[in-house]
Amino acid sequence: MNFRSFSTALRQWGTFLGLLAIVVFFAWRLPETFPTAQNFLNISQQISMLAVAAFTMTIVMVMNDFDLSVGSTASLAGIVAAVLFAAGQPVWVGVTAALAVGVLGGVFNGFLVAYIGILPFIATLGTLTMFSGAAFMISDGKTIFGRDIPTEFAGFARFGIPLDAIGLEGAKLPLMTLAAVVVLLMVWLLLEQTTFGRRLYAIGGNRVAAELAGINTRRLRLMAFGLTGLGAAVAGLMYASRVASANPTQGAGLMLDAIAAVFLGMTMGREGEPRVLATLVGVLILGILDNGLTQMNVDSYVREILIGAIVVSAVAISAFGQRRG
Amino acid sequence: MKRTILGSVAALALSAGALWAENVAVITPYLAQPGTQAYVEGFQAQAAKSGWTVNVIDTAGDVAAVIARIEDAVTQKVNAIVINVDPAQVAAGLQVAKDAGIPVIGMDAGSDPLLATNVTSNGYAMAAETSVYVANRIGGKGNVVMFVFDAFPPVQARGVIADAVFANHPDIKVLDRVTPDVQDGGIADSRAKMEAILAANPEPGSIAAVWAAWDQPALGALQAIEAAGRQGEGIVITGIDANPQAREAIAAGGNFEASVAQDFAGIGAAAADAAGRVMKGETIKEPVIYVSTVMVTAVNAAQ
Repeated sequence: MNFRSFSTALRQWGTFLGLLAIVVFFAWRLPETFPTAQNFLNISQQISMLAVAAFTMTIVMVMNDFDLSVGSTASLAGIVAAVLFAAGQPVWVGVTAALAVGVLGGVFNGFLVAYIGILPFIATLGTLTMFSGAAFMISDGKTIFGRDIPTEFAGFARFGIPLDAIGLEGAKLPLMTLAAVVVLLMVWLLLEQTTFGRRLYAIGGNRVAAELAGINTRRLRLMAFGLTGLGAAVAGLMYASRVASANPTQGAGLMLDAIAAVFLGMTMGREGEPRVLATLVGVLILGILDNGLTQMNVDSYVREILIGAIVVSAVAISAFGQRRG
Repeated sequence: MKRTILGSVAALALSAGALWAENVAVITPYLAQPGTQAYVEGFQAQAAKSGWTVNVIDTAGDVAAVIARIEDAVTQKVNAIVINVDPAQVAAGLQVAKDAGIPVIGMDAGSDPLLATNVTSNGYAMAAETSVYVANRIGGKGNVVMFVFDAFPPVQARGVIADAVFANHPDIKVLDRVTPDVQDGGIADSRAKMEAILAANPEPGSIAAVWAAWDQPALGALQAIEAAGRQGEGIVITGIDANPQAREAIAAGGNFEASVAQDFAGIGAAAADAAGRVMKGETIKEPVIYVSTVMVTAVNAAQ
């Protein structure tokens, strides 16, 4: 293996090796509590909301676009569902309406970006504020909780499939984890196995060339943003179920972490392009760091600095590698 | 060989240390808020005396992350967990702690069957302090304007007590029981409502006092009275919470005469005491432990 192919391999696998190193480090420092089935199941549930937002964020990032409004969309979706629950509507009505709001918000983003021609950064920064304002308006700025939230809805985040059959006595595979896995599969199929996905990558590679090749880039971008909005709404509903309440700002943290996860994953792409399985690696890094550092009693603020530093250095190493490779 | 012995001695010392030192996780999404900081500092000071290892975890507003961090603390097998967040919203995490037999103490969190106890201030007592202050200052006679907010249970409780105190004085008449719009923080709308009441009662002395269930309406009423040029009529205003703006107004010696301050550091210290008790195996009978509050008047407002 010559130096060049070695450095390419290191670049592509560096982030994955980083994930392994983190897992090994925590397993070494916390042998009793970290490498246990229950802890890994906990982590899978803890990252499920971020995972859904990040997987669907990958769809627009494939086209070199991104969506800053996913956090507000998630908050708004939770609020819409909770307000309908509070008004006595059944769970399916609240959930359907919330998902519809997500799709509509996403399509609106897509319309601004693809048809009006506003840069995604500016368009989705604007809609971030709009959706957040709408969430405050609909909820009167209040947290909706308690009896207003149906137990079936909150129960989704509490239940899981018993794993006794595979030898894990008393452990359960959380429904939240299952939901994230389903979204992962769907996004993977969409991006990797369909013409739609290949066209998105073509747009990301060279939009003008894609257009000249007869791809209707506008419609595809509109649809891609719609899917990202839908994913944000799913993440928002999962969040609301987990905390059995809805608050107009509760999804806010999802956006930066989702983008960070996709960026971490992009360091693994051959051309630095986003792949949804690589996004999963990014999400795992963020989630496992949170879990392990908490168990090691590391200060929350140090944790944040560390996570930021890891994202920046992973991307920097990748950029450096790409320039030379 | 020597190295292995040394290594095992070190490992033993480490595990023994882990056995002896009580390990407590304090988890909150609100550490950036001044009140929460004071709770945590009070807790840490008390915990340091007992030699506990305290891990303070701030999830920066993220409530779902509080559940995740409770799960991690349970996995880590801490001896106790302290939360400063609505327990109903983190019930999923509290259940995990309960199943693992790890006690959770609320630090001004709201009471919940999944908590060993909740340490907070007594809203009833705070309202009793200020409403009795008002009744005494006006000699048990005159018209009182009340600012209440019955939609929010902790503030509703304050209003109930003031109602009872004023009803117990035959010569005190509650002129109006106002619920201000709190969207803008409560000062501006309270001011507007108070201006309307002042206009409807132009006679000097027709309003003896304003009792507010928290500080913002008291500040709004003060602004209205000063803007109407009626600060000389001796209208007595009281609030509750003694926030910095209220303290400033009280210290200035105008109509805003009194408020009640929660002892945040005291709540933190009492939460540490409660944690110490449950870690020793005690079951705390009271679902809520109250920490005394401090009346704030011109005498001590600047402290």
